[in-house]
Amino acid sequence: MKRTLALITAIIMLASLIAACGGGKKDNNSGSSGSSSSSSSSSSSSSASGGSGSNEKVTINLWSFTNEIPNMTEKYKQLFPDRNVEFVSTIIATTDNAYQPALDQALAAGGKDAPDIYAAEAAFILKYSQGDMSDFAVAYADLGLTDQMVQEAGIAEYTIDIGSKDGVLKALGYQATGGAFIYRRSIAKDVFGTDDPNTIKNEVGPGWDKFFAAAEKLKQKGYAIVSGDGDIWHAIENSSDKGWIVDGKLYIDPKREEFLDLSKRLKDNGYHNDTQDWQEAWFADMKGTGPKKVFGFFGPAWLINYVIGQQAPETAGDWAITEPPVGFFWGGTWLLANKEVLKDEAKKKAVADFIYWVTLDTSEQGLQYFWANGTMVDGEQGTKDTVASSVVMAKSNGELDFLGGQNMFDVFVPANKFATGKNLTQYDQSINDIWRAQVREYTAGNKSRDQAIADFKSTVRDELGIDS
Amino acid sequence: MPLRRRSISYSRYGYIFCLPFVLAFLVFSLYPILYTALIGFTDLKGVNTREFHILDNPFDNFKNLLFENELFRKSIVNTGIIWILNFIPQLGIALLLTAWFTNKRLNIRGQGAFKILFYMPNVITAGTIAVLFSSLFAYPIGPVNSLYQMLGWSSEPVNFLLDKWTARGIVSFIQYWMWYGHTMLILIAGVLGINPALYEAAAIDGANGWQQFTKITLPGIKTIMLFVLITSMIGGLQMFDIPQLFQSGGPDNSTYTASMFIYAQAFKGQYLYNRAAAASMILFLIAAVLSAILFYMLRDRDAARTKKEEKRIRKAARAQGGVTHV
Repeated sequence: MKRTLALITAIIMLASLIAACGGGKKDNNSGSSGSSSSSSSSSSSSSASGGSGSNEKVTINLWSFTNEIPNMTEKYKQLFPDRNVEFVSTIIATTDNAYQPALDQALAAGGKDAPDIYAAEAAFILKYSQGDMSDFAVAYADLGLTDQMVQEAGIAEYTIDIGSKDGVLKALGYQATGGAFIYRRSIAKDVFGTDDPNTIKNEVGPGWDKFFAAAEKLKQKGYAIVSGDGDIWHAIENSSDKGWIVDGKLYIDPKREEFLDLSKRLKDNGYHNDTQDWQEAWFADMKGTGPKKVFGFFGPAWLINYVIGQQAPETAGDWAITEPPVGFFWGGTWLLANKEVLKDEAKKKAVADFIYWVTLDTSEQGLQYFWANGTMVDGEQGTKDTVASSVVMAKSNGELDFLGGQNMFDVFVPANKFATGKNLTQYDQSINDIWRAQVREYTAGNKSRDQAIADFKSTVRDELGIDS
Repeated sequence: MPLRRRSISYSRYGYIFCLPFVLAFLVFSLYPILYTALIGFTDLKGVNTREFHILDNPFDNFKNLLFENELFRKSIVNTGIIWILNFIPQLGIALLLTAWFTNKRLNIRGQGAFKILFYMPNVITAGTIAVLFSSLFAYPIGPVNSLYQMLGWSSEPVNFLLDKWTARGIVSFIQYWMWYGHTMLILIAGVLGINPALYEAAAIDGANGWQQFTKITLPGIKTIMLFVLITSMIGGLQMFDIPQLFQSGGPDNSTYTASMFIYAQAFKGQYLYNRAAAASMILFLIAAVLSAILFYMLRDRDAARTKKEEKRIRKAARAQGGVTHV
């Protein structure tokens, strides 16, 4: 009995050793984190599908960083059951920069499990549409999605700019994320006497000088104009003339350098609550529970519906939107397709159909119509959002109770025109992190202005290898 | 002459059983290490490139890292500071607890429960703890800030996480808290290996607790201590998960450790594999040198002395001519 037990245990251990492929060593506090382990834990293997069904069933590997697009695939299959496609989704969140390395390895490895359709967020889309990884993306024209179709759908200019390399379109977004200034109606009435968007538009802008004048008025009554310096950063970042890298060298655009001064002005005069975006205190300011009540936030439609709406549902109806002091965009998701799909006719058609439905279909059956009107789930009024196609927005109803009945498309459609896609680089996410850390040091008074800029340049040079 | 008994040697089975591990080690550990060392001398970078060329000046990467790259030097200094801040209290508390737990006179009850509680922080994932501490010290609204204001220590919220030494202190504290239980358990195991007769003899001769500890326990656990020091040092040099998840390098790169630098070089920005490999090799050299120093300091002096004596006697005997059995 003992011997059989020993034998079985030995065989199991041998089997696990061979299966584990690892040599069995564990380090203390081992480094170089689990970008590979996170993808293996959250990816669904494609061995699930592909067995049953007819010969024409096409399996599409979809890589995304949220479950937005996988949810769209459900709607797609519901609308077109005869298209006979199966989607295998891999979702890896972008927290701690885990998505990009995993996606890069999957694309470079190729083969059956390589992504057929993959999503990229505004923070790093350039790497995949114009930069180091752009060779993996197929041109939309090769899929049968012509520039004519893009023009007819009235897609926002900046979306096209970002998704094109040397004039060849490789990626399009479905959301339009032009930004507006989102403010509290009650505070507006208290300080400015009215909450009408057209009046407020002229109080806070155009230009930063008027913005700070409004901040002073708000301060007199004990309000903060924004929550933290991150709020104005996105507007400044996107409205600068040039990006971080010009001719291969680091370049600090004067408008971005101005951020140092604007942020310090906000801090010294107490115009904000000195929070950092995406942290607890920033969310608290949306509810109005911070040290000072905050007047407004800068953001696109998704900030209203997905962030403020989720964080502070009790303030519904007290918000309104208006044109910001400077035009900008923030965020957005672009869809790309792998060049390998061209090799398989059936797969190419399936991929082209799905991408068309998401990005260019302006009919009432197209994704953007559902997305704009919040009718993704039958019978439920979901969140509305601004979409890339102005044609769709023109025929959609953008009225939101959250905004006290204001039609958000009225403000966002022109806002999308302000946004520019020409001043971005593929390293923006990393460079922005370093820049904002240095600005935070400067505004806290730990460094001089010149020291902050010098440290920024030296960190970018040492960490990313970009000289200045 | 006693009968030379032929004993059956089972040693070859030992070799056979070791074989799978050795093969896996050679393929999955040794080869990548050698390959990494090789890349350190080349210009491999970019996510797509597979070919690389040995640089004209092979030590370019190393020179750049050591002499021109401020961030790398800073990261090594940070690693050292955080490790020392973490290790000294850790060893101190671990030794203290070991002394108490193995003290026959004190005879603490419920040792099992205590050991479980002390080891528990090691079981919680680093990510959870980093996020926990990050939100505890959040600015401008956070639990510790609220506590400060409630106790009246400051009227305005204090940005703890923007202060360099606070951030380093917190990272060190987290490391200390996670590992002191582990260190304590290993030291207890070491102490249990010391002959209790020594303690009894010392007690009879009138030695008090402190003298017993310094004269019997500490020398007795020298080998175990060497193990603890080496593994802790290697773990400390590789510190990555806590600082990365806590503040991503901390206020103004003050909790930026060497491993984070290597990760950033290789996977953020331009995928500079060659520089990351060179940095890894430098880290490896530092670890090797420090380990050698530790080995030398904690070597078994008595055994070395006896060996020397034997050698001398043997030499002398051979010089005189004659058979010696020593």
